Amino acid sequence: MIKLRTTNLTKRFMGLVAVNNVSFSMEEGEILGIIGPNGAGKTTFINLISGIIMPSEGRIEYKGQDITWMPAHERARIGIARTYQLIHPLENLTLIENVMVGSIFARGHSLKEGRRRAENLCHELGLTDLERDTSRLTILEVKKMEIARALANEPEVLFLDEVMAGLNSDETKELIAMVQKIAREKNLAVGVVEHVMGVIRELTHRVIVLEAGELIAEGKYEEVSRNPRVIEAYLGGGAA
Amino acid sequence: MNRTLVRILLILIAVAAVALPAFAGDYPLQVARNIMLYMALAISWDMLLRSGQISFGIAGLFGIGAYAAILGVVRAGMPTWLSIPFAAVFAALVAFLIGFVILRLRAMYFSIVTLALGEIFRIIVHNLHDFTGGPEGVVMQQGVMFGGNASKLYWLVLAGLLVAIAASYWFEKSRIHFALTAIRNNEISAKSSGVDIFRWLLLAFVVTSAIQGMLGGIFVMSYGFAAPDVVFSADFTLLPLAMALLGGVYSTRGPIFGAILLGLVAEWLKLKIPYGHLVVYGIMIIIVILFMPQGLKNLLKPAAKRAEGRSA
Repeated sequence: MIKLRTTNLTKRFMGLVAVNNVSFSMEEGEILGIIGPNGAGKTTFINLISGIIMPSEGRIEYKGQDITWMPAHERARIGIARTYQLIHPLENLTLIENVMVGSIFARGHSLKEGRRRAENLCHELGLTDLERDTSRLTILEVKKMEIARALANEPEVLFLDEVMAGLNSDETKELIAMVQKIAREKNLAVGVVEHVMGVIRELTHRVIVLEAGELIAEGKYEEVSRNPRVIEAYLGGGAA
Repeated sequence: MNRTLVRILLILIAVAAVALPAFAGDYPLQVARNIMLYMALAISWDMLLRSGQISFGIAGLFGIGAYAAILGVVRAGMPTWLSIPFAAVFAALVAFLIGFVILRLRAMYFSIVTLALGEIFRIIVHNLHDFTGGPEGVVMQQGVMFGGNASKLYWLVLAGLLVAIAASYWFEKSRIHFALTAIRNNEISAKSSGVDIFRWLLLAFVVTSAIQGMLGGIFVMSYGFAAPDVVFSADFTLLPLAMALLGGVYSTRGPIFGAILLGLVAEWLKLKIPYGHLVVYGIMIIIVILFMPQGLKNLLKPAAKRAEGRSA
């Protein structure tokens, strides 16, 4: 079943076209890689889908419903969640309280029920000592907290914006396995932006490639990585 | 300190606060009333600050409440007891209407606009001569509430303070705490967790304005008089702000602590060096902000926790 679909999605900032006419869809249970060189518009694309910015043109549908102009907090409530490339833990809240925010606002649970659900999520992700201040967490723990915070929305569509950045290879492996397990168990559609191609190869079922805001290729990682246009985009026109 | 000890101490303080008129003379009662009034304003200012919005509009909403109360009594024949909740509701309504516009602003733009609005209210009251009495103000012909009984007026302000403390605890213990803290930290990630930012800011602004309006009503009912330069005085903005900063922000006990300290010091300095007291308090505030940015409330925490706070 198709969870999310964009049609001719476009975002212009003054003269710059950050996302240009992108049409794509995501199925439930699918892990989709979103790749492209720096500045290709990957984060802008996620910002459009999560409602942080509004598009210049085009349409976004979630489970058949038009959500193009829906405010971000409402998208969080109907089941779209994301993490951020630059992580902002809520500094005056503890680890567990950070995760609770999604439970109590996106889902509307009571404080007690929200805390219980947040605790379960933290346990699933292997987070312990939940009353800690967020400044005391390791990088891996911060990344897990960020994922737990998104999962607290109890989403059906989840976007992970460079969650593996800054992790060593063991930590990356652990997190890949975790994301796969969660996606399978909760039957999520997951969109993953990542620069490390090894992560994309291992984690994703399908890949879309953005360059200068345009969708230039789509398919399995093995096919896409052999596509001459993709190779050129990554190496740059001159070098190829 | 353990919890039981703190509870016993709090109960003792509460009993002493309620029973104060039984053993204190008029002067200490007057000082206590003043301190409690500013304390309640400081708490209400801090409540909105928890969302990251710095309001300089306390005096504006205090003044609106003051005029709503006194004009309700003088022009509409409202009973004095009713004028105080009326002041709260009126200030809340004004806050609700202007909130739609100004809560879209952030940081210093929000602060400056709240400051300007307070001034606009003052000028309006100043110029609506026939209705508000203009710059000379309005006097309640029937006299002060409770016939000027010092004990009853003291309890009236105490009741106002308790309302502010109760509201502040509600903000701390409910989901409002999570909403406001998330907004203060990062609005974008708050949105992504389903927080309707505008709605929570509006709630906080309306509730804190209602408290400020109510206190304006209490103030004017206990003096039987309102004039623009009195009830819109910058003191009602600056002193609560200084008290909250001194005691420590983002909590209920910070402003309480700061108000007691600054209130008593100010009173004592007023006697020692009239007019010079403002300089001393300015210096006190600067020292605290420079060396204890979390405020004096941090001194009450156990030493270990303090060290943790510093390294964080």
